Amino acid sequence: MSSVPQPVSPSVPEGPPASADDAGSGPAEIVARLVGFGHALRHEGLPVGSDDVVTFCTAVAELTPSDIADVYWCGRATLVHRRDHLAVFDEVFRQYFLGHPAPAGREPDATEPVAQGLSGTLNVPDSEPGEQTGDDRPMVLGLQASGVEIQRDKRFAECTPEELAALRRIMARIGLEPPRRRTRRRQPDPSGARLDIRRMAREAMRLSHAAPELRRLSRTQRPRPLVLICDVSGSMADYSRNLLQFAYSMRRAARKIEVFCFGTRLTRITPALDRRNPDDAMKLAAARVLDWDGGTQIGASLDTFVRRWGRKGLSRGATVVVCSDGLDRGDPAVLADAMERLSRLCHRIVWMNPLARDDVETLPNTLAMSVAGPFIDSLQSGHDLDSLESFARKLPQIG
Amino acid sequence: MSEQPRNETPASVADLQAQFLSSGYLASRGLATATLIGLRLGRPILLEGEVGVGKTEMAKCLAQIGGRQLIRLQCYEGIDTHQALYEWDYARQMLHVRALSESELSDASAVSGLYSPEFLIERPLLSAIRAGSDAVLLIDEIDRADDEFEAFLLELLSDFQITIPEVGTVAASDRPTVVLTSNRTRELHDALKRRCLYHWIGFPSVEEEIEIVRLRVPAAVETLVHKVVAAVQRLRDMDLVKPPGVAETLDWVDALGVLGTTELDAASAADTLGTVIKDRDDLELVGAELDRVVADA
Repeated sequence: MSSVPQPVSPSVPEGPPASADDAGSGPAEIVARLVGFGHALRHEGLPVGSDDVVTFCTAVAELTPSDIADVYWCGRATLVHRRDHLAVFDEVFRQYFLGHPAPAGREPDATEPVAQGLSGTLNVPDSEPGEQTGDDRPMVLGLQASGVEIQRDKRFAECTPEELAALRRIMARIGLEPPRRRTRRRQPDPSGARLDIRRMAREAMRLSHAAPELRRLSRTQRPRPLVLICDVSGSMADYSRNLLQFAYSMRRAARKIEVFCFGTRLTRITPALDRRNPDDAMKLAAARVLDWDGGTQIGASLDTFVRRWGRKGLSRGATVVVCSDGLDRGDPAVLADAMERLSRLCHRIVWMNPLARDDVETLPNTLAMSVAGPFIDSLQSGHDLDSLESFARKLPQIG
Repeated sequence: MSEQPRNETPASVADLQAQFLSSGYLASRGLATATLIGLRLGRPILLEGEVGVGKTEMAKCLAQIGGRQLIRLQCYEGIDTHQALYEWDYARQMLHVRALSESELSDASAVSGLYSPEFLIERPLLSAIRAGSDAVLLIDEIDRADDEFEAFLLELLSDFQITIPEVGTVAASDRPTVVLTSNRTRELHDALKRRCLYHWIGFPSVEEEIEIVRLRVPAAVETLVHKVVAAVQRLRDMDLVKPPGVAETLDWVDALGVLGTTELDAASAADTLGTVIKDRDDLELVGAELDRVVADA
């Protein structure tokens, strides 16, 4: 599944006039050429520091390259620090040293840095998103708040002052008590279950008389990771904004949280939520998700999550919160499989279903919900900001 | 940053590749280049890649090549300095105090003697600093450790010296070669990555993988090797939860060898599938398509 971009052929290519292997033509020129390469990479959005360029030049000097492939591998080892950047590096190398023309229509994106955490590729849906919106429309169950018919572009416009206030409220609430888990480490605790022999030994040596006082240890606690997987499909349109705001607040309050959105495709939006300004964060997040208001493929999306992120350990020991109304257009068998796997890979699964409203004991009667039901540890409502707040309050007990 | 090149540093990338080969490791040109730069510049090498592509093995072979000692620090959640760096042997210290007579105790040197090296338990990082360039320090699966530990490591990797309050500062005379591996279960801090030379090890091509199997299992039948490698490559193209790594390929060839099988067909593959596929869902998926997987190319 992971094919490394094919390296440039080791044979010396028919290079452009100034390729780096005319060694001896003047060290200053070669250095200028190498430094220029660093600049070209930076221009394409790679975080190349001056120290990296220095290392690159030193490495090339050390190896006294015999052909261009040496320069390639030197650059790859010194100027690239994550796998996602390899493709960009290869492209820039081809253009800069081998004189290949830049592919048409590709411009450096100034608003979105290449650095995107775990994996930076956006999935472009090949079907027309939104084509199923009409079908989903009748299923929309009213929101308590006003503005059921929010326009598409308006939805992620600026936050109103009330919403900002709500965000702050949620933040304060979550900041109080993130879900926690025990760790292997221990800390001094007068009522701990285990004796701190080391500390007692240390003190005994200092005192060198009598029996030492009993010192005790207990396990330390750490915040549990939290994974939010939000449905942003047509039927969830009215809730999506709340959910994203909620996700943003969570991200601001606790570091260990990952946020994904799905309609027909799963998109990781965690990095977008790291903006200080909530409006910017919302805009960036909205720009990443390409299938707003489309159909829903819960099963396929969760399956993608399990395969791409879950098995790497992203959800291990985590509380996974799936926010969806369960109006699935995909195969229920896929959903059942994905849920089963997910339940094995994480600590707790919480399903937030706006259709559940205040009556959270009964599962809303949709096929997807009855399929997913056995794997859900807790069903929550979350149909408006208030209920999201109450969910945030309950989170520590669920975890 | 730049250190004087060590005597045993290979002269060129090709030399290093040949040396890796002689110790039974097939290093790609990229990996060999990164390693050579790392050796020459005294920088740590960060290896990332899928599970079972030979990240840890590379460090072992690197140590073997230079005739150096391999010091391995296996990271895990909650690892702290006591397990990574050093620890005082309190129990021995106490016994020592009890054994001293009254008159000896009044002597000031008795107390300072308690903090002498014999009571210090060396953990991997301290051992590596003491050993200096005689060691290859392998920090395995760094992504499993906590962020705090990464920050601590950052400090250590920049200076290669630590301060033990009771003893003083221990500094490496020359730097050990450091290899870090990560399975990318989480993203490492940029600061740590910047300090390292980065290399991504992907799955090998068919030719490379055949070469690796030949190196590692010289006794294997040639046709069998070809078929197993082809089958494993097909498995990697399938949408598996856990795609098999090179380690699994080697296990499979070994397993078939143990059974005395010289031909890979659906039956023998089904018997030994457990060596390559380690997930129940995957087993079902592969089981249904076994004929296609082991088919001739």
